[in-house]
This record gives sequence, structure tokens and C-alpha cells, in this order.
Amino acid sequence: MHPSIATLVAFCDGEAGEDRSRRIARHLAKCETCRGRLRLIRSEKDGFSAGAVAQGVDTQQGLDEVLSAIANWRRSPSTAGASELRRRVRRHIETYFGFAALSVAERPGMRAEELPGRASEMLDVFLGPAAAEAVRDDALGGLACAGPEEGR
Amino acid sequence: MREANLDGLGAAPRWIGMCLGAYSIADLLVLYFWSGAGQIFSMQASSDSISALPVTAMAAVNLFLCLVVLRGFPAGAPLRPAWMLATGAAAAQAVPGVMAQVLETDSLRTPLLTASGPIRLALLALALLPVLRILRGFGFWVRPSATDWAVSGIVCLFALCRFAEAGVASPAAGQTGLQHWISLAGLPFLCVLVLEAMLLRQSVVRMGNGPISKCWAALMGGIFLTGLAELAVWVVPHYSRVWPPALIEWLTRFPIAAVFALAPAYQVAAQRRATKPAASAPEELAAGVPALAR
Repeated sequence: MHPSIATLVAFCDGEAGEDRSRRIARHLAKCETCRGRLRLIRSEKDGFSAGAVAQGVDTQQGLDEVLSAIANWRRSPSTAGASELRRRVRRHIETYFGFAALSVAERPGMRAEELPGRASEMLDVFLGPAAAEAVRDDALGGLACAGPEEGR
Repeated sequence: MREANLDGLGAAPRWIGMCLGAYSIADLLVLYFWSGAGQIFSMQASSDSISALPVTAMAAVNLFLCLVVLRGFPAGAPLRPAWMLATGAAAAQAVPGVMAQVLETDSLRTPLLTASGPIRLALLALALLPVLRILRGFGFWVRPSATDWAVSGIVCLFALCRFAEAGVASPAAGQTGLQHWISLAGLPFLCVLVLEAMLLRQSVVRMGNGPISKCWAALMGGIFLTGLAELAVWVVPHYSRVWPPALIEWLTRFPIAAVFALAPAYQVAAQRRATKPAASAPEELAAGVPALAR
């Protein structure tokens, strides 16, 4: 049985406990899917950490930049909405096609905003329009930035 | 671990899997007792009547599920032609199967069943062409590898051997010979199907293990099993008198029908999962996970 994403995050952060970490490591040694998930988690975490370090919050200027970034984020919730949409789209691709399909759907050099459109096209073709519409509704549900054309 | 939901059409893959498991266990038990009894009973005599009904039933399930899938692809949908042909292939197995159960005379029943095989394989081979084209369009397709060509080559070689053997035996065969030639007509389609299945395999590997991938993987598995069964029916009796062709057919026909039925079953499961209310959706992979990890 595959460890959950939460377990892999805990493993990545060294918070999974000794026994559990050993079990996860054993599983990772033989499971390509979970290794892929772990790589994704690490890359996201590294990206996050790099961003945080670059801000240099230990100086007044750095602190101002962080506060300014937070203010900008608050003023434009659409950025957070787009990120949430991408996350949901990824989850749907993984649910209906499989984890490996993510690397095909997200072609190298593809712009982030292209992913929902491409995923929508894939779901339209392979699931049929009615089912794809339902998935789109689910992906767009409750998103502030979700215009009707964004997920289609 | 998630609880198994066996309600509705969304659970069709599980039901088919359970039927396949139960049937396989029953098959193995029968085989065990048969070999324990010193093979005193004739498998040749019992094979048709015993295995035809479950196979026909599974073919009917396949046809029904294909029709359900087809409803989800309206006119103009890119995969509609593929599912129409797959439905035709399922009908080509189910309808003659049902008619063969009804018809009393062998003179009508045998040609009907014999002719349905090649028709089914031809329809399936045609159905996979748009599928492969679409998979290629989305980047799931890769060039055929040496293994793909090798496996297809083996099946082509097998087809050639069968044709050569039939050609040698044909002058003395008469009516039986004609039926044999009709059944052999499926072999060229099988060669094409195996090559298509090898390409499908590469695409499925690039997808992962979601229900859509499993749908095409099931179709691929059904094709491989059909090829293996054909090969076994021809090769094994050459080397062993214990395993007559009827016995091998009896062992393989139901699993093949079940694996083929899994393809529309997984597609239906995917469609049901998409359209059911969010509250009843199964536990998502990312549920309760920090945003960082998603």
C-alpha cells in the first residue's frame, strides 16, 4: 500500500518517526510512483525555501518585501486561485489517468495557465463531454478567480 | 484502507474481478479433480456446454457496459467511433453466443460462432486505430520498440504457420475445412491487434494507474490473452496429449471475455466517479494534506 502524501511530507521533513521512516524508505526503494511523488514534494519544498531565503527576512528591507508580497497576495486573490486551480487540475489528472500522466500533461516549457485547458481537453476526449463537464465544475467550484473560460 | 463500494455501475470492475476470481478457482478445482480422477472423463464432450454460457453472459455484460459508455460520447466526440466499433465487437461475441444457446442444430450454430471471431477481431483492430491516433496527439504514444516488433513478429509467424498447416490439410477437409479457414481469417487481424496492443501498452505505461489507463490496459490484456490462447491451442497439443485444445479453450475463454469486459467497466467507473456528487466522492489522494505538498 502506498504511503499518503501527508506521510511523504512528514518523511521529507524528517518528522515521520524512526520506524515509520524505515518502512517508507523500504517502500520507496521499490516504488517508482512514490519516488516520483517524493521528488515533487521536495522540489516544491525547495522552491518554497529558496523563495523564503531570497526574501532575506532578517533585515528591515527583507521584512518590508515580505510584507509587501503578502499585501499584494491579499489584493490579488486570483493568483492564489490560479494556484489552487492548478493543484485541483493536477489531482484530477492523477485521479483519472494516473500519476505518470502529469508529466505528459505538463509538457516542458508549457506555461502554468495552459495546464487547465490541456487537462480539460484530455478529460473531454477520454471521459466524454458530460463527465468532463462535471470534473470541470468540481475543479472550479469555490474558486474566486474561476471564470467559465479558465478551466475549459 | 478505503472500503470497497459495490453499489452501482461504478463497481462493475470489482464485480467482474470477483466473477473472474470465482470462475478461475472453480476451473482449477475441476481441473484438479479431473486430473485426480485419471482424466477418465472426456473434456472434449463437456467443454462447449459448460463454458459457453458464462462466456456468453460475460460477453453480454461487456456489450451492456459498452452501450453505457457509448451514451457518454455524443456524436462528434473523438472517441465515439472507437467505442462504437468496440460495442460492435462486443455484439459480435454476445449475439452469436446467445443465438447459439437458442439454436438447436449444430449446422447453424458452429458457423455462426466460427464467423463471429474474425469479425470481432476486425472490429477491435479498427476501434484501436482512432484511440492510438488520439493518444499520440496527447503525447502518450512513443515509437514501437524492438520488443514490440519482436512480439508482433512472433504472432505473424504463428499466423503463417497456421495458414501453411491449413493449406496442406485443406484438399481433404471439405466442410470442416471451410469452417477452419473462416476461423483462420481472424489471424491477420490478431497480428494487427497485437501490434496495436503493444503500442497501447507504452501509452498506458505513460499514463499511470487511473481508471482511464486501466480501461485501455484491460483491452490490451484481452488482446494479449487472445493471442496467447490461440498460440497455446495450437502449440500445446503438438507436445502434450494430456492438454487437448478443447481443454485449453475451456480454461481461457472466460478469462478473456472477463478481461475484455473490464475495459468498458473501468470507463464506466471513471465516468461515474466524475459525475457523482462531491460528497460521495472517495477519499482523495490529497485530502488533508498541507498546501505545500499538493
